[in-house]
Amino acid sequence: MLTARDRLVSVLDGEDVDRPPCICSGGMMNMVTVGLQDEIEVFFPEAHYDAEKMAALAKAVYDKGFFENYGVPFCMTVEAEAMGAEVTMGRKDREPHVTDYAFDDVRNYKQVKPMDLESGRAKVVLDAIKILKSYDDGVPIVGNLVGPISVASSVMDAVKYYKQLRKQRELSHEYMDWITDELIRFGIAQIEAGADVIAIADPSGTGEIMGPGPFQEYAVPYIEKLQRACQDAGAKTIVHICGQMHSVYDQIAQISADALSFDAVVPIKEARKNLPGRIVMGNVSTFAIERKDAEKVRQLTRTCIRNGSDIIAPACGLGMGSPSENVRAVLEAVRETEVAAG
Amino acid sequence: MAAGKEELIEKLYECVVEMEDEDVVDVCNEYLEAGYNAYDGIMEGLVAGMNKASELYDEEEYFVTDVLLCSDALYAGLEVLRPHLEASDVDGEAKKVVIGVVEGDTHDIGKNLVRIMLETAGFEIYDLGRDVPLDAFVEKAKEVDADIIAMSTLMTTTMSGMGTVIEKLKEAGIRDRVKVMVGGSPISRKFADEIGAEGYSVNAVEAVAVAKQLVGIE
Repeated sequence: MLTARDRLVSVLDGEDVDRPPCICSGGMMNMVTVGLQDEIEVFFPEAHYDAEKMAALAKAVYDKGFFENYGVPFCMTVEAEAMGAEVTMGRKDREPHVTDYAFDDVRNYKQVKPMDLESGRAKVVLDAIKILKSYDDGVPIVGNLVGPISVASSVMDAVKYYKQLRKQRELSHEYMDWITDELIRFGIAQIEAGADVIAIADPSGTGEIMGPGPFQEYAVPYIEKLQRACQDAGAKTIVHICGQMHSVYDQIAQISADALSFDAVVPIKEARKNLPGRIVMGNVSTFAIERKDAEKVRQLTRTCIRNGSDIIAPACGLGMGSPSENVRAVLEAVRETEVAAG
Repeated sequence: MAAGKEELIEKLYECVVEMEDEDVVDVCNEYLEAGYNAYDGIMEGLVAGMNKASELYDEEEYFVTDVLLCSDALYAGLEVLRPHLEASDVDGEAKKVVIGVVEGDTHDIGKNLVRIMLETAGFEIYDLGRDVPLDAFVEKAKEVDADIIAMSTLMTTTMSGMGTVIEKLKEAGIRDRVKVMVGGSPISRKFADEIGAEGYSVNAVEAVAVAKQLVGIE
């Protein structure tokens, strides 16, 4: 019998399987809702800085029929915080987010402190992965990294950052390269701790925000360097890109991640057509999951499968208030295909 | 030899379109020294240049970061010319917009863009910034007697806060005095309708048209 890990890894290897896996990676693509916290009585914000609680919620995502993977962390602030940005841990129904930047001029980037993987929340993430790994139960473990541009623009004042990409090119590249190397260290540590897959999401580095030129210059090479380093360390990789793709398909094609994931504005058919031969992941509307009913979610999931999504996943992070019934409807609809296939 | 007024206005326009936030200051000073009218320099030079930038953005020639750089040049120029406006140039009846990124989200690039576009279009802006507590929208709208509340978020996890603000406006008894418009990448027309927001726009350029329509400006 195919384990969830076998199925996911096979798909990422480009092999045929009985049906698409159904996952939600974690990180920016958070899948821990208020409902799930209530169900197992483990809560945010404690789970963001307590490895056992983090692992418990990650495990519940699988055990309670949400998705077919474990994934940590549940926010996109671990890296930025470790590099000196100020972060609030949020609440039960509100994710952590950056409240203050560490610096505001790329000319001072050398002040930024390297990530300490031996303490703080970076260590919590690594410890949580080790706990999940110890279950050795055939459930794939997804470690998450925030992409280089999103980290760079969370540690440094974002508006200044985007402007200096144009006016301080050489230093901006140095800064991006430094950030990427830090992320590689954290990624490799996650893989060594037991992550099967590394998912990278870079919501601030999009074609829509930057335009094709700067996207090519600053997003593509560093995302590619990061994901390649994770592949070289033995993990499969998923790269999630937010926003419209039509102006940057050529650039996306240069990112050689095992799977590419898109948000709800990108029709799966369009992605498949523009990225021939690639494994495409996505993209059940999180708006529908939060605000519609389970039947609507099942319909959307079926459409996603029909349109050729290789890995079924929510299009973005789940709204914290998403009803559990709706979240489970995604996986239910994916499993139907198993029955239908005999 | 002093350059002609038209020529300098053309230069101001180009400085904004070409994102020259340092050159624009020199041109503004030259323009003032030649004794030309500050209001014309702002409207026909700087603001016209910003409008051109938003046109280019609409056509996907320019992207968000380009528009931000153009706005730097715009604001640098405004700082020089504005003190030289005459009292009769200042229109006292600008419509008021309270704008911010809802609590839980700190991505404010899109909001800044909308703010720039609305400001260029002549709205009076009260920018609450990012990660704005939901009550603050209501309080500020009351305080300044706002015509519009504009909210944005880039995160699906925080978008429901927009509906909460509308509920709070009702509780405060001012729902009928203020229009609400929403935007941000996860937001759709459908979502706007569901929470009862009058206005929705997919991008910053359209936001100006939506805002004008909401307050009845042609």
